[in-house]
Amino acid sequence: MLETVAQAVINGLLIGGIYALVSIGVTLIFGVVKIVNFAQGEFVMIGMYISYFLATYFGVDPIVSLLVSMPALFVIGVLVQHFLIRRVLGPNDMPQIFLTFALSLLLLNLALLLFSANYRTVHTSYSDEALHFGGLYIPEAKLIAFVVAMALSGALWAFLHATDLGKAMRAAAQNRDVATLMGINSNRVFCVAFGAALALAGAAGSLLMPFYSAYPFVGQVFVLMAFVAVVLGTLGNVLGALVASLMMGVAESLGIQFVGADSGLIVVFAMLLLTLAFKPQGLGGGRMR
Amino acid sequence: MSKQRHKSVLDRESAPKPLLSKQHSRRKFLIKAGGALAAGAFGAVPLRGYAADPVNIGALYPTTGSMAQIGVGCVAAAKLAVEMINEAGGIKSLGGAKLNLIISDVQSDTTVTRTETDRLITGNKLSAIHGCFASALTLIASEVCERAKVPIITGSSSDQLNKGHKFTFTPFARASQFARAQLQMSKLVSDQPKVAVIFENTAFGTSTSNGLKELAPGEGVEIVMFEPYSAGFTDAGPLINKVKASGANALFSVSYLNDLILIVRTVKQVGLNVAINGGSGGFVIPDFYKNVGKLAEGLQGIAHWNHDMSPDCQKVNEAYKKSTGDFLFEYAGGLVAQTFMLADALERAASADPQKVRETLSTLEISSGYAAMAPGGKVKFGPDGKNVYSRPVGVQWQNGDLASVFPKEDARAPLIKS
Amino acid sequence: MGKDADKDADNTGKWQMVALATLGMILLLLPQLVSNGFALDIFIRILLFSFLGVAWNLMGGYAKQLSLGHAAYFGLGAYTSTIMQIDFDISPWIGMVAGGFVAMLASLPVGWLCFRLRGPYFTIATLATAQALMLIFLKFRDFAWGAEGTTIPNLGSSPLMMQFETKASYYYVVLGLLVLGLVITWRIERSWMGYYLVAIGEDEDAAEAIGVNAPRIKRHIYMISAFLTALAGTFYVQYIYFIDPATAFSFNISIEAALVSIVGGIGTLWGPVVGTVLLETTSALLQSWLGSSTGGIQLTVYSLILMAIILWRPTGLMGLFNDVWQRYLDRRPARVRTSP
Repeated sequence: MLETVAQAVINGLLIGGIYALVSIGVTLIFGVVKIVNFAQGEFVMIGMYISYFLATYFGVDPIVSLLVSMPALFVIGVLVQHFLIRRVLGPNDMPQIFLTFALSLLLLNLALLLFSANYRTVHTSYSDEALHFGGLYIPEAKLIAFVVAMALSGALWAFLHATDLGKAMRAAAQNRDVATLMGINSNRVFCVAFGAALALAGAAGSLLMPFYSAYPFVGQVFVLMAFVAVVLGTLGNVLGALVASLMMGVAESLGIQFVGADSGLIVVFAMLLLTLAFKPQGLGGGRMR
Repeated sequence: MSKQRHKSVLDRESAPKPLLSKQHSRRKFLIKAGGALAAGAFGAVPLRGYAADPVNIGALYPTTGSMAQIGVGCVAAAKLAVEMINEAGGIKSLGGAKLNLIISDVQSDTTVTRTETDRLITGNKLSAIHGCFASALTLIASEVCERAKVPIITGSSSDQLNKGHKFTFTPFARASQFARAQLQMSKLVSDQPKVAVIFENTAFGTSTSNGLKELAPGEGVEIVMFEPYSAGFTDAGPLINKVKASGANALFSVSYLNDLILIVRTVKQVGLNVAINGGSGGFVIPDFYKNVGKLAEGLQGIAHWNHDMSPDCQKVNEAYKKSTGDFLFEYAGGLVAQTFMLADALERAASADPQKVRETLSTLEISSGYAAMAPGGKVKFGPDGKNVYSRPVGVQWQNGDLASVFPKEDARAPLIKS
Repeated sequence: MGKDADKDADNTGKWQMVALATLGMILLLLPQLVSNGFALDIFIRILLFSFLGVAWNLMGGYAKQLSLGHAAYFGLGAYTSTIMQIDFDISPWIGMVAGGFVAMLASLPVGWLCFRLRGPYFTIATLATAQALMLIFLKFRDFAWGAEGTTIPNLGSSPLMMQFETKASYYYVVLGLLVLGLVITWRIERSWMGYYLVAIGEDEDAAEAIGVNAPRIKRHIYMISAFLTALAGTFYVQYIYFIDPATAFSFNISIEAALVSIVGGIGTLWGPVVGTVLLETTSALLQSWLGSSTGGIQLTVYSLILMAIILWRPTGLMGLFNDVWQRYLDRRPARVRTSP
């Protein structure tokens, strides 16, 4: 029994790491640029396809292909912010939401058009292997993904707190106008924020490839969890998103184990709604961080 | 005496003046001649070299959305079948009329299925329809067809399809039959099968799993876990963890492709020693092997059609392979047979009228040729639209291809025990 | 000058009445002139989604409470009438109204939970409630058929049970619903509630500061919006003769309701209608031109068009029409527009 619980917790943490990479990107964009990016899942998908093609045609291991997918998506993020998002930034947040929604629809269907709906899988030496401790098992690919995800999150946090550009981003997040008065170029900051968020999404995609198949709709599966994590951890709070993602992964896993195999999401939503009922700003204390 | 003669005779005799002026009569002649030509052109007078009106067959498959891969394969098979029939001379009782396939994408979505079926029927004069792969989608299409009085023939397995529907025909095995076969196959690998059943929670998964639950005690199989799950999960870990905890030595998964891939790979990661029977659906298509690779070897499943069942099946398989590069999978092969069944019904009806086609389809009884490509080689529809001879065939992945292994009369290759 | 201005004002009012009457005549006669089933289907969809947009617009357009969870009420309405029909043989006409009341009741706890949140929190919370309802209906098969859903039994021609043999009849029903929605919106727009809604939409804190009871107004408009959305749900199920949780609580419904209002013009009477006509027609045309070719192309084009509209006119197209109207047709002295 204890073993089952322990295994469920391990499973939950591992997948929670992936949720974290996706949700940190969303929360970063929200914190700095103040928009909700509905297309985040599609950027994960792009990361997956990049890794797939590198692996299939050049034999590059998906983890190594992080070196390609992350910069590529950073550039895409800067372009998206500069040419698209900038136009709809204003007091009214509705056009922004629907712009990112339309963007998500576009990317998804472009992928369908270009790559067809076929599932693309990459098999590496560690894809289907696991480490065994006692009665517990830890899948290797997921473990690697988790470790790298935590490392990237840590790197982002360090960037936000220890570098000037990072601090500028946090300043712009707190108060855009005052930041501009202090000499911070808000558009540049937004571009970096968007780029970083998308780079994280791309990383999530590359890390997923060893154990998850790529197909045009794959982004949609993860984006819902990411959104819940972002709200749970307070919008804009990077640490909050991380912790919330891990909690949600574990809650989902335990829900499937003990409530019912089709109840994972219900447990997660119950968690969300309960939290919102008592802590409307989320668990992060309402502060942007 | 003159009164007894016909009026025309009287007129001609007594009237010296012509009945019509020259202009008028020339015009009349031209009209009559034109009418005769037109009638000839419309086939009223069949002349050699003039084709009869094509017969429209509707094909509804999900070529986009989550089931797109299978839909695309089905459409390729549908086109192949129509080509085969047309090259052999079309529908002879209709003057060699060719079959005209009208395809529509149902986008793996129930609402789109509803509107597309409607659009196809109201926009074209259809004699029949086949589709839609997923039971949930086919159920809706069959409702529309029932109300529009157009016959629909399908390989979808849900038992619900035949309830109260006069226009729905299902020549292949039903979900309940799949269930029984799956249970029997589990006894081939173990004497005391303890089965964990996991199934996706829409029509396909629910029908099949209900059948499993009901029939298990009768077949001497113990079900130790029975869980629906929401399709499209991010991680199969928790689910497989549960399977492990249940102590099962066999796993029946009723799933679509993406979940199956994750499940099989996760079972390997966990190092769980269970015999997987992947059922039907996403398990018996080439893409499964392409994505799972060697892990698929030896895995068993159930299909309502397989390409090694008969020489005819193999012939069609070769043709399909040439044009698409993959072997002909269950649903696609089944629909080729269904197209031939429709052709047979059209021949006997000698009419493209959907109601008449329905009549002749209901009296279909065939045991040779491409229309009889079914396990057991015989098709005859009962009053509920089911084929009285239908049965599923157990299959196993062997060397990257699907071999029929169960029951004995349908086995084309020996069962490999791992 | 004054007398001329008055005459112009009267004439404008008369032009508006004439335009409205002409539109009404065309709409009423349309099914008699068009017999193509596919075209009628498009018209029905346009009317239905306009109605859905109008219902959403009351809350999302005027009061700027961006809800992406209206599918919850759509589904509740759909399931209520279906359960009442299949389990209790009660006519869907009654079921439709009952569904509306169920939705109204449901909007109270949802509102309590969500209205304490602002901005994107509110939006995501509404999204979560709709998803949660879908999950509940997927899992619990005892009261509502679970994931498999059910079809509406075929009763042939049965107007009392909201089943008709001809598409034209469905057209008139949904036209009636749209008219209902428009009339309600028109009345609210011109009442004290309308002003409060706009005030809340512009700046909720400022509105409260001057004495507007925001929570109460939001609660009321949410109930009305939910009620109307539920009516749409019942109609939809009766029209497609099928219901399952994925269809009834579909995220696409929530998005569509909001999208048509935003594209057409939030906070305006005709905005949702304009938006629906544009989007549905585009979508239907794309489906017939490109639908049977390579997968994905039709939605790619659709999303590009959508993005273009949003980038070009973020506040919706009604603004464009208003400009045209004012510049060329409306001779009255320029009015200051209060809403964007």
